[in-house]
Amino acid sequence: MLYLIRKMRSQLNSWALLSVIFSTLILLPALLIMIQLFAESNENWEHIKEYMLKNYIVNSVTLVSFTGFFTVLIGVSTAWLVSAYKVPMHRFFKWGLILPLAIPPYIGAYTYHGILNYTGVIQTTLRNQFGIKVDQKYFDIMNIPGAVFIFTMFLYPYVYIITRSFLENQSSSLIENARLLGKGSFMTFIQVVLPVSRAAIVGGVSLVILEVFNDYGVVKYFGIQTFSTAIFQAWFGMGDIYSAIKLAGTLMFIVVLILILEKVIRGRKQYSYSTSKVRPLQPKELKGLKKVAVLSFFISLFALAFAIPFIQLLQWVYMTYDVILSAAFADLIWNSVFVAAIGSVFIIIVALIIANFSRLSKGWIGKLFSKITVLGYSIPGAVIAIGVLTLFLALDEKVITLYEWFGLEPTLVLSLSISMLIFAYVVRFLAVGFNSIESGFDKVGTVFTEASRTLGMSVTKTFFKVDIKMIKGAIAGGFILVFVDILKELPLTLILQPFNFYTLATKTFQYASDERIHEAAVSSMVIICISALSIFFLHRVLEKEPK
Amino acid sequence: MFVQIKNLTFHYKNSQKPLFENLSLSFKQGEVSVILGESGSGKSTLLRLIAGLEVPSKGSIQIDQAVMNDNFRFVQPEKRGVGLVFQDYALFPHMTVEKNIKFGLTKMNRKQKQARMEELLAIVGMEDYASRYPYELSGGQQQRVALARAMAPNPSLIMFDEPFSNLDSKLQLQIRDELQEILKRTGITSIFVTHDEEDARAIGDRIILMNNGKIQDEGRPEMVLQKNKEKLSLAYV
Ligand SMILES: Nc1ncnc2c1ncn2[C@@H]1O[C@H](COP(=O)(O)OP(=O)(O)OP(=O)(O)O)[C@@H](O)[C@H]1O
Ligand SMILES: [Mg+2]
Repeated sequence: MLYLIRKMRSQLNSWALLSVIFSTLILLPALLIMIQLFAESNENWEHIKEYMLKNYIVNSVTLVSFTGFFTVLIGVSTAWLVSAYKVPMHRFFKWGLILPLAIPPYIGAYTYHGILNYTGVIQTTLRNQFGIKVDQKYFDIMNIPGAVFIFTMFLYPYVYIITRSFLENQSSSLIENARLLGKGSFMTFIQVVLPVSRAAIVGGVSLVILEVFNDYGVVKYFGIQTFSTAIFQAWFGMGDIYSAIKLAGTLMFIVVLILILEKVIRGRKQYSYSTSKVRPLQPKELKGLKKVAVLSFFISLFALAFAIPFIQLLQWVYMTYDVILSAAFADLIWNSVFVAAIGSVFIIIVALIIANFSRLSKGWIGKLFSKITVLGYSIPGAVIAIGVLTLFLALDEKVITLYEWFGLEPTLVLSLSISMLIFAYVVRFLAVGFNSIESGFDKVGTVFTEASRTLGMSVTKTFFKVDIKMIKGAIAGGFILVFVDILKELPLTLILQPFNFYTLATKTFQYASDERIHEAAVSSMVIICISALSIFFLHRVLEKEPK
Repeated sequence: MFVQIKNLTFHYKNSQKPLFENLSLSFKQGEVSVILGESGSGKSTLLRLIAGLEVPSKGSIQIDQAVMNDNFRFVQPEKRGVGLVFQDYALFPHMTVEKNIKFGLTKMNRKQKQARMEELLAIVGMEDYASRYPYELSGGQQQRVALARAMAPNPSLIMFDEPFSNLDSKLQLQIRDELQEILKRTGITSIFVTHDEEDARAIGDRIILMNNGKIQDEGRPEMVLQKNKEKLSLAYV
């Protein structure tokens, strides 16, 4: 029996082997951190634990709870309004309300600060046109409520997207029944919509929470002490990788707790996107005051979360583009596109291998691999960066002894090289590519693979001649998502970028931290436009595709 | 015996009870056999086992004197030389009819491939459709292409999983007769899976009656159908 299974696997051998190697590599940074978490402590860490840890926890938890609350409020209400009612420009709002996702929160943060500060457009207008001097207190967003506002504006689309597609596809009969039973819209919403879409909402808000934990740009710029900033301080400020690891481990522990909590709250209900058979919910036309109310809600949300910062950035671009657009800027774009493209290619290849193995091997081993693959996306970028750094420093030690052995000059070869950065991207974003490819495979099933095998093709030949071709769309979609995620990535890149190597994201952040926010606009604009294009492509073009 | 199945035991990973237990069965060369049974009785699974798409936990399968699997060996599906026409045909949607048929012709040069492809299209009467994509064909045409594709590599055994179930009844009769004629002409050993008695009677040299993973009866169509009339009519009311 065992022998037979081994025999059968013999075909999948190289696939299994590659999957094992890749999954181990992916797990290694997180494992290293876990192990170090239980190592003996040093003085620095004792100090941090004693005096600062509580502050980090309080700040992080405050940010996460309030952002979670407000994103649910806004995300769910927009999702419900968009899927249940028709207002003018319905189709525009339907995907336009996703657009704020194109603006990374750190860019939103410095843009809003630039709008509101003493030299910003609002205060200068008030001063110069109306002679009004305002109390700075009311215009300061560089605090925790300000950060919550920024996170809410630029992250609520996660809740919106997942809840909306759930409502549109899954719940039409429930909602129509509630209406037939004489429930008003509001009661339908409270008594039916909220409970049935609980799983979807929890799924969306947990993405938001992970993003908030992952954030470094906003909190650093606003001067709020959190885990991310503490990790940076330990590593860059004190050169203390040891404390950085302890902090990273603690943060990882909290994130794991949250993931468990998510599973519990979500319960056994899964939200699914199956669109077959289920009749989509028909939105109904709104009239009168209600129409005006909903419309103005949409307009103000779209303005605050996208249009206003976008227009402000456009103006700054206009002010600075002749200085900024130079050979150095071309280098910057090249760097960003280069790492994003290489990273995405690696991710897609690894994802294809693991996904194909996991679907063909059918058993629990395959499932385990797919679980490992998704891990990295839950772990904040700074934590992964520290884990990868530890791993490469350890490797370098080995390499150095090897160098000395050959009588060569010992240098750090692997640490802080581009390959380390790209490896870290793969760990962090593999899940994004993997999910896309896995759902592609799910859609086509295994029947074509089996047909090909009875026609004399091996697993590997089938993979190239049939499987890959059938999930082209999923591969392209996955590539775009990963590419954009890497392009926007900040904390991990800041820690791991080689000396004198900047990406659009890190340069933007550097300008902003140096209070040169106008100069940051051009690179921000490039990031936003590429993200917006990808959102447009994924949500308008792919959604329309039949099947 | 051309195909010999001995003491086969198999269960799906997520079920405790084995679907087949010590199943033994054989098929003669050149014969058209029909496996008849209700939904869920294990007909498709049996074909998948013969094709090598599932791995049995015990027992052996021989095809044309060669051991396909026993306790020590397992021949991969691509090495078995068995053709399988899937229930929904599984034509590769990204390939034309021509490419689909040529797919399994790995050991031929380009000229030979072309000749074999044309030969098969002629057999199934689809000469004019070589450059169409599967979605540009009707159900019956797809079925014929699937047959041509499965026969192209010259398998020693060809199996059909409910080949008529996606066709309307009029087409069903026509295709069935055509298929029977093609099979007789080529003399290829074939196994049919169906839950339709009429199909079984019309096309089979022999019927194997299957229920719940067990063989209930086998023999000449009239005999089997006559003998099990009551049971069958009960099952298909
Ligand atoms: N992949 C699978 N995993 C677990 N159980 C399965 C799987 N495929 C089939 N089964 C079970 O095995 C039994 C036999 O299924 P099989 O598909 O062989 O029946 P069938 O005779 O072909 O039925 P039908 O006429 O409906 O096609 C059924 O009880 C089915 O539920
Ligand atoms: Mg079947």
